[in-house]
Amino acid sequence: MRNPLAAGILTACLVLGGCGGANVLVETTVPTPLVQPLPLTMGVHFDASLTDYVHEEELERHGKFRIELGSTQVPVFERVFDAVFARTEPVTSIEAAGAGVDAIIVPVVEELQFSIPAQTRSDFFEIWIKYKIDIHAPDGELLASWPLPAYGKSNSRNFGFMESSGDMGLNEATVWALRDAAAHFAFYFPQVPEIRALTAKASERSG
Amino acid sequence: MSRRAHSPLRTAPARLLVALALLTLVPGCVTATVQEVREGSTGIRADESIVVLGRKHKTRNETETGFVDCVSRAVAGGRRDFGVMSESDFVDATFPWFEPRTAPLDVEDFSEVIGHPLLSERIREIGVRYLVWIEGTTQRTSETGTVNCTMVSGGIPACFGFLSWENDSSYEASVWDVHQGVNVGRVRSEAVGTSFIPALVVPIPIVARVRQSACNSLSDQLRSFLSDGAEV
Repeated sequence: MRNPLAAGILTACLVLGGCGGANVLVETTVPTPLVQPLPLTMGVHFDASLTDYVHEEELERHGKFRIELGSTQVPVFERVFDAVFARTEPVTSIEAAGAGVDAIIVPVVEELQFSIPAQTRSDFFEIWIKYKIDIHAPDGELLASWPLPAYGKSNSRNFGFMESSGDMGLNEATVWALRDAAAHFAFYFPQVPEIRALTAKASERSG
Repeated sequence: MSRRAHSPLRTAPARLLVALALLTLVPGCVTATVQEVREGSTGIRADESIVVLGRKHKTRNETETGFVDCVSRAVAGGRRDFGVMSESDFVDATFPWFEPRTAPLDVEDFSEVIGHPLLSERIREIGVRYLVWIEGTTQRTSETGTVNCTMVSGGIPACFGFLSWENDSSYEASVWDVHQGVNVGRVRSEAVGTSFIPALVVPIPIVARVRQSACNSLSDQLRSFLSDGAEV
């Protein structure tokens, strides 16, 4: 670069992350939840709207933000579904499940919101992800849609001189939000009335 | 005629630089106090361990990860009477029971949670005897003065002025006994210190390591609290 001033500013932006905006590619998974599996064989379908999910937003005075959440949700949900259900089967479409499953679940991202410390005058980067889990019968009929709210935050004070780095802060907040989604699902999904009914039926079947 | 080797430390600017570098190593003054409240007997075997955890459910004044790590390392670094499991290993091993929104907030919740067979079995496997919950933060409480930097002739930067600030650390550790499902006590550590930056051409930071001091005093007290509590 011929202009040393421009080079200096670019370097400072890259190092300090202080020029606004963020470009976040989230890559994570979660530990296997310690829960008793339900006696169900569950078909699992990941729609492209989930696996390709990207949130883009421009905040006035703070720049452009891009959070690429899509593909990392698959290992997170797979891990939690494998723990919560006795068996899972990937299905390519809701109609293609067949009779071998008790139901099909389809996670959907309805909305993602985030905030940065400069907006809230707090120390935290925060992420809210509003999921819904669609529960379909084996023939494809929609039985229920269960809301799954997820929240994650990261403390900018943990990042030292990188505390204004949106990339680092939003990445960590998103990882916590995905853990929160997994935890919430593991604890509360078995209590959904339609799932309780399916579980009771499966228990009766097995004697 | 003999010639002496020309040492770089014998020149005046080099001596000044060395003096300034040594000055930056001078820490500011810190006053630390520690208090202990015992509510039950403690004791830990060599094959048991503790885990130091930070509370993450609040949206204000969350304990810094660095402080939790510091206490964890400092307790582990003393006498090797027991093991110390890292926070991340513990929350992963017990997922999803100790996440920010699911972790028990009081000992009544804890005794209910620990009754879950899968969780109690896992905690028995990993050998954790005590959970140490840390709450508190370090805050900058006051700041006075200014340091202004400018370019003097020849493009050399120079700073003039005097800046000082006070940091205040306040942390409390609650110790829960996993076997008994009770709170066995609390250790509280507070530290206050003032840092300075006098600047006469070159700024010289004299920083009070307040948080480190709070970490050291809390860790020392925790170690003796856990080891010397009468019975196992």
